[in-house]
Amino acid sequence: MSDAPLVVDDVSVTLDGRAVLSGISLTAERGELVGLIGPNGAGKTTLLRAVRGSITPTTGAVTVTGQSVSSLSAREIGRRVATVPQETELSFGLSVEQAVAMGRHAHIGRFSTPDETDREAITDALARTDLASLADRPVTDLSGGERQRVLLARALAQATPVLLLDEPTAGLDINHAIKTLETVRSVVDDGTAAVAAIHDLNLAARYCDRLILLADGEVVAAGNPETVLTSETLDDAFDATAVVSHDEVTDTPRVTALPDESTAIADEED
Amino acid sequence: MQVRQRAVTWSLGLTTVLAVAVTLSAGIGPVRIPPATVVKILLNAVSLPAGIEVAPLSVAGTLQLPVPTLRWGSIVAYPVDQTAETIVMRVRLPRILLAATVGFALAAAGTVMQGFFRNPMADPSIIGVSSGAAVGAVAAIVAPAAIPFGLGLRGAAFLGAVVTAFVVYLIATEGGQTPVATLLLAGVAIQAFLGAVIAALQLYSGEGLRAVVHWLMGHLGNAGWNDVTVTLLIVPVLFGILLAYARDLNVLLLGEEAAAGLGVEVERTKRLLLAVSAVLTAAAVAVSGVIGFVGLIVPHMLRLVVGPDHRVLLPAAALGGASFLVITDTIARAGATEIPVGIVTAALGAPFFLYLLRSREVHAL
Repeated sequence: MSDAPLVVDDVSVTLDGRAVLSGISLTAERGELVGLIGPNGAGKTTLLRAVRGSITPTTGAVTVTGQSVSSLSAREIGRRVATVPQETELSFGLSVEQAVAMGRHAHIGRFSTPDETDREAITDALARTDLASLADRPVTDLSGGERQRVLLARALAQATPVLLLDEPTAGLDINHAIKTLETVRSVVDDGTAAVAAIHDLNLAARYCDRLILLADGEVVAAGNPETVLTSETLDDAFDATAVVSHDEVTDTPRVTALPDESTAIADEED
Repeated sequence: MQVRQRAVTWSLGLTTVLAVAVTLSAGIGPVRIPPATVVKILLNAVSLPAGIEVAPLSVAGTLQLPVPTLRWGSIVAYPVDQTAETIVMRVRLPRILLAATVGFALAAAGTVMQGFFRNPMADPSIIGVSSGAAVGAVAAIVAPAAIPFGLGLRGAAFLGAVVTAFVVYLIATEGGQTPVATLLLAGVAIQAFLGAVIAALQLYSGEGLRAVVHWLMGHLGNAGWNDVTVTLLIVPVLFGILLAYARDLNVLLLGEEAAAGLGVEVERTKRLLLAVSAVLTAAAVAVSGVIGFVGLIVPHMLRLVVGPDHRVLLPAAALGGASFLVITDTIARAGATEIPVGIVTAALGAPFFLYLLRSREVHAL
């Protein structure tokens, strides 16, 4: 039995009679950032939902810090697993600090108020995400990139051993995307086990220690970015032609997707 | 504690407003009584435990057990006009306190429902509680024989309200999940259905029609100390439970999936909030009839003032609702002929709500 904070063992999920995930296994160690890549509908979000107990696997088990997720209460899960969602309702007039403070919910007793530990976690999360100067601003006043950082800060305030990220860079410009992943990387380097669903293969290759390529609810390839990101696996999973080269600047694989051969030919014939 | 301080400050402030409203209201009516006199009468009525007496109680004729009983004593005894004292204590105060309690309950339940449904149009009766109460009450007026267990009008209204809320909940629940949208639509459909039942009952109500219409418009005129005591016992307990869940309600505003991720037991919390709000509303409606707009408008007003944090908003809205209903009910009974308070709250509440809508400050919860 691995002592990794997150162990997913042979998990299958069936939703409305359709097999969404079949036989997925993965672990995330302390200080490890695991990237989930794969085409739309491959089951990345479903896998993250199964990990945090939002859906119950049909077979298999998810173990977080040694305990089965299905045996834990929402509150206990909230102290072990934090999620940065793709999008969330942050519309009503909360301030940035209030929104981030909600990350402490699972740590504060029903009849208690936030203590020193809670306030430190909130301050720390605001500082890490570069939001300290915006703490008193209403969330509704922020740009999309800043709001995404608020969601990250909220998850960091949860101070959990396991961190899940669902497309943390979706809709962000390149500057904000890099900033977000740098923050995630530094949190992971401090000992958090993280799993991130990422669409941008180049960013995934650059920031993740390991990649897991999902397609049709199954693991197609797993391992370090160099072994997972090959023309063959990508062709297989994405049904697209891609050239994988080496990026001299970041020293990581670089994926360049090409138009489908059939369409390329059709274009020439026009 | 910043939040706790704000909650306490607002609560104290609004309690003061309520105390002033109660005092002034008790002086208004066919016989005018100066506020100073009202204050003296109220202070005279306050009794505190003054000591413990041990009285022997005989059990089964032979055994003597000493039983301690509290001896109550008034703290002050101001000389006041006996007629004024009777008017305030017997006639006006029960009604005013009932208005305060009902307003408190409706505004608290409305605040919770708006947060729960993440919908600014939600009010305490959204899951059919008021319609259910109305069916119970109207049935009790039209065909008292049909009401089981000799419940009477208030009991029938309360039972109708609670049963309706439960039915709506059951209809909207599948596999342990109660989607908020389904709940809302089930509530609307049941309200429409019960509306038909009420209309049909009215049609055959004959002599009772006047009483039916009177009840449906909402009124506090028949208030006695019994009603006040019962609601004063129920309402604070239920409110306490809601207040304990204020932070969960805040987190629920983020959406259920996010709330679950942050450690909220979503379905259990929803069930509890729904049940407590329904009983709170039922208790209010059973003694006062259908008083509209208090549970809709007051939470909005207070949300504009104190912000969306339920730890501050919930007590503020409840106390605000208490003052609002005391004031509107005073207006309702101040004229030459008394009008049902439901007319006053709607007549004042609707324009104010439209003003809020136009000022675009309530575009979000």
